Amino acid sequence: MNSNEQGPDLVPEILPGGVMNPQSVNIVETRDPVLPPGGPNTSITDKKAGTKTITPFRAAFNRFKRDKRAIVSVGVLVFFVLLAIFGPLIYLHVGPSIQSDLAGTIGPTEYHQYYHQELSRQDQDPSAVYWLGTDPYGRDLLSRLMQGVLISILVSLLVEVVDVVLGILIGVLAGYYGGWIDQFLARFTDVVFAFPPLMFAILLIGIFGSSSNSAFANLPILGENGNARLVLASIALAFVAWPLMARYVRAQTLQLKEQQYVEAARTSGTSAVRIILRHIIPNLMSLVIIAGTLDIANTIVNEAGLSLLGLGVTEPGSSLGLMISDALGTTDTHPIEVLVPTLALAAIVLAISFIGDGLRDALDPNTTN
Amino acid sequence: MAQFILKRGIGLIFVLISVSFITFILGYLSPIDPVRQLLGAQHYTLTGYIRLKHSLGLDLPWYQQYYNYLVNLLHFNLGYSFHSQDRNVWDILKDGVPISVEIAFWGLVAALLVGIPSGIFSAIRANTWVDTANMSVALLMYALPVFVIAVFAQVIIVYINVHFNQSWPVADWGTPWHYTLSDLQLKIVPILVYGATTYAYFARLARTSMLEVLRQDYVRTARAKGMAERIVIYQHALRNALLPLITALGYFIGFLVTGALFIERIFNIPGISSIIITAVTNNDFPVVQATTLLTAIGVVAGNLIADLLYTIVDPRIKLS
Repeated sequence: MNSNEQGPDLVPEILPGGVMNPQSVNIVETRDPVLPPGGPNTSITDKKAGTKTITPFRAAFNRFKRDKRAIVSVGVLVFFVLLAIFGPLIYLHVGPSIQSDLAGTIGPTEYHQYYHQELSRQDQDPSAVYWLGTDPYGRDLLSRLMQGVLISILVSLLVEVVDVVLGILIGVLAGYYGGWIDQFLARFTDVVFAFPPLMFAILLIGIFGSSSNSAFANLPILGENGNARLVLASIALAFVAWPLMARYVRAQTLQLKEQQYVEAARTSGTSAVRIILRHIIPNLMSLVIIAGTLDIANTIVNEAGLSLLGLGVTEPGSSLGLMISDALGTTDTHPIEVLVPTLALAAIVLAISFIGDGLRDALDPNTTN
Repeated sequence: MAQFILKRGIGLIFVLISVSFITFILGYLSPIDPVRQLLGAQHYTLTGYIRLKHSLGLDLPWYQQYYNYLVNLLHFNLGYSFHSQDRNVWDILKDGVPISVEIAFWGLVAALLVGIPSGIFSAIRANTWVDTANMSVALLMYALPVFVIAVFAQVIIVYINVHFNQSWPVADWGTPWHYTLSDLQLKIVPILVYGATTYAYFARLARTSMLEVLRQDYVRTARAKGMAERIVIYQHALRNALLPLITALGYFIGFLVTGALFIERIFNIPGISSIIITAVTNNDFPVVQATTLLTAIGVVAGNLIADLLYTIVDPRIKLS
């Protein structure tokens, strides 16, 4: 929780050097010894000495690279992202022709579609035709998995954009100016925290779900194939996600605005907007990155959960949660059908949590665990 | 003390009013016309429609409707379902809530009994293999979504059934709050899954909290004056380490009703989860509204309970 207690000088290389010069010595002295001195603060002395500059960002990156668990997690995550984006392009062209129930002889471009059903091929084991087998409706598990992961990525991106933009905007304004906007944020967060995130999504979907298909039908990917309620789910998840981010940002802004370099900027007549954009926001980035990463994991879990309850993605669309839900009836005879989406989800969520931990340790070396 | 409760009470009322307003206004703005839902397609006539709308008070302006909604709530009337004709929402929820509470209650008890001692033990033996093992398990249970753990549990049962010729049930639920042998067989796995995720939370929190306390000056003083380590830990440190756990307990009390949504879905348990799913599929949003409101009230009440417990346990907080 208290990961936002780090020093003010975490990302100083983005800051303009001119304004910083008066306190540069001061900042270097107060910096944690683990963190190699760098950035524009020390650039003048560095040029004199002729040594190679290690920016704090670079130092953080080096620390991150040493974290084996995080690096493996990045590999796992990249694998799933590539699988979701490029997997279908390849998979649709690999496989023998089969005799379909209704459509005669068809190739992989048809039966490897995630919504293609072959009712005579239900619950099959992995084979050359279906690499991971088929689900209880005779659909290819691997295709559905790739589509499901794609949906997870899309939803988490959508939520993350809202979360970060609103979180920073409201958080900075509340922290920097205080006043009514601060009051608003405090009250709003109280109310939102009383709604468990999922219950709000369920409420929104329960009330508007039936009409979302017509409302969002024209959106690409998200609007089609029974995914329309997903837009609603994303809105709901974003709505309950951003206040927490705003609270973190607010607390950090309160600390940052008392820093000497902000005071110096103010004294030299820099406008408030410019101070926020060039001095406050860049220093918030490590906090936002850490909190945002963990929020992605939450969003993916919540989306899968909603689809598992039958409230997110609906047939014929695919989602990790919906795949679990479809396979529940055959757990005792064909456990692979439920294990495929479950293991994928577990891998993704664990990977993101480990990356989040690694990022926190790398960007924020002062906190102990 | 009175001032503290008053201040909390005002905040609580504000939150409850906001939550009820949000739930109400979303339903008010819904594109689903409740009157049409009630009438059904074949019984629709314009006069019938207007008469029913008037009798339900749905032709009033929104603030009057909201007032009526609040008054009904204060009389524990959560409204009427659209689909199960004229059935009180309360009546519908009554079928599922006891079962959901049963899972969450026993799960919470199990988690407290295992989680807190294991967390404390981990802290005392910090950085030994016991601690590492305990914390690795807890981290895994904490990071993984509950339905993933539930599915794993189910697959393990299936594996045992197949390979050891058992016939342990994979899903379903027995009679609520009855514990014959067959009931226990059905109930123990879902409850343990709920307990496992909650255990992770308490074990981690208890360990952090205990480590924090063991670092305090008074613990060092107690040790320095030669007090037995057992007394230092169990009489001086433990009681203070338990303080933050009260807040967590309040949080979980708030989720007694809707905490097991996913476990119910995976194990096919007829709790509140299936009621919500049916209601959403049927556009029966009063049921969903009521559930949301109940959960929110649960969360707020849980927080309040935690606050009050806190003031009783920790006298320093009384005046703040």
